[in-house]
Amino acid sequence: MKSRSVDVALAGSGHIEVDQVTKTYASDAGDIQALDAIHLDIAPRELVTIVGPSGCGKSTLLRCIGGLIPPSEGRVLIDGEMVTEPDPRIGYVFQKAVLLPWRTVEKNVLLPFEIKGRPTSRDLQSVREALEMVDLHEYARHRPAELSGGMQQRVAVARALVTEPSILLMDEPFGALDAQTRDSMNVELLRIWQEAMPTIVFVTHDIGEALFLSDRVVVMTARPGRVHEVIEVDIPRPRTFDLVESDERFWALRHKIRAALQ
Amino acid sequence: MTGGEAVKPTLRLLRSLGTEKRLGRMLVVVSAGLLLAIWHVWARSNSPLILPTPGAVGDRLVSYVSEGRAWPHVKITVQEIVAGFALGSFVGIGLGTLAAEFNIARRVIMPYVIITQALPKFALAPILVIWFGFGMAPKIIIAALIAFFPLLENTYLGLTSTPSLDLELFRALRAPRWVTLLKLRVPHAVPAIFSGLRVALLLSLVGAVVAEYVGANKGLGALIIVSQGMLDTELMFVAFVLLTLLGLALDKLHGLAYRLVLRRLYGRAASSAGRVASHVSV
Repeated sequence: MKSRSVDVALAGSGHIEVDQVTKTYASDAGDIQALDAIHLDIAPRELVTIVGPSGCGKSTLLRCIGGLIPPSEGRVLIDGEMVTEPDPRIGYVFQKAVLLPWRTVEKNVLLPFEIKGRPTSRDLQSVREALEMVDLHEYARHRPAELSGGMQQRVAVARALVTEPSILLMDEPFGALDAQTRDSMNVELLRIWQEAMPTIVFVTHDIGEALFLSDRVVVMTARPGRVHEVIEVDIPRPRTFDLVESDERFWALRHKIRAALQ
Repeated sequence: MTGGEAVKPTLRLLRSLGTEKRLGRMLVVVSAGLLLAIWHVWARSNSPLILPTPGAVGDRLVSYVSEGRAWPHVKITVQEIVAGFALGSFVGIGLGTLAAEFNIARRVIMPYVIITQALPKFALAPILVIWFGFGMAPKIIIAALIAFFPLLENTYLGLTSTPSLDLELFRALRAPRWVTLLKLRVPHAVPAIFSGLRVALLLSLVGAVVAEYVGANKGLGALIIVSQGMLDTELMFVAFVLLTLLGLALDKLHGLAYRLVLRRLYGRAASSAGRVASHVSV
């Protein structure tokens, strides 16, 4: 993240501290340790990806950061405050778009406001802006079933951004999309990140995707989930796939991460 | 990825259903004609006391209806069905929602539900007549008693089958429990509740008619008992036909209501597809 000059001193700007977080699940076959003493410090506006084999606890870690599940030990701090429940400063994007099929695209994006109370005209304006940001304003009145998978996931991104959270947690958001769609979603995500500047924690199992997006890649190992290595991605921004893939550092890092995962 | 690729698989599905629908209708008409012919031949070789011909039943139906004698019976039975169905639905949906929302409610409700289901409700008809007389009340109670179960079951299943990721989204958005119920779980349960309503509607018809057998002087069930007493098989068949038409009309009304609700929820395209889905699930 040192590649971009960012005023870290800004308060309330999405600083995440994961402090020795351990998560243990009880099961019939005894306790299963999903996370083992995870320690991470993520700077405001940083874009960090988490890669690892399936079952390494990437999603569990993300859900701990988002306050959806409590850690068994340790704690998560956001801007210095301990997370105990889902936090309004956090926007979430899941593996699936999770749109309500009976609502139009704009009503789906309006949902976070509706849950808080009666939406104001300012909220409606925010919905319009969020849909413009993901380039779907022309589809505001469509139902999710009329959209492709990539478009649906963009609606989910708009819904996560509409409340202007300082942190965006993304759990393999493009994993179900085909390779081309995924690439263009990644390009768009970087554009959105540059526009809205949230801190992003992005879980993926795709090394190329991780390197293209991130300032740092957190490499995890499976059972129990541990941080194996944190890798700085010193590829300059703005990035395009052509630029990144013609950069020697990309291939060197890719090789390094793949080796770490084995 | 500017999104010009809006897909319309629904349209294609509906079109293929269109031709299949026409073929299906044709087959229904042909087989119905065949069945009527068999009935006719069969009836001709029997006494009209055992089986009247379809033509005789038709003539009798027309005269019975045109003389205005059918209406008082139909009216009473319809009132019993509607009241029993409304009461049963209200209780069924209410208890189903309680059971889905609160574990403790489910633990208390379910044993009673199983007892009321194990008990043959028609066996209660005589005691209900003793308690409430020969009026509509015992019929409404019987109809409600058998109508409420499919609704309780379907409401409970519908409300508890919300996908876990949807629930996680609402949790992440810090939705209060009742908001999650109203904005997520209830809309999700609509198809299940409507297929429960459909079963409940036809069951309340059965309940009302059977309760009339036990003690009533009006209503289509009473008409069947009276015609049995007079050995008027033709009249009995008239009652059967009226009951069948009544059942069909009620089912049509249900379909119409469901389509309206689906259109409100999903917009135009989904309404006919949804009805097809409900046919399958019943």
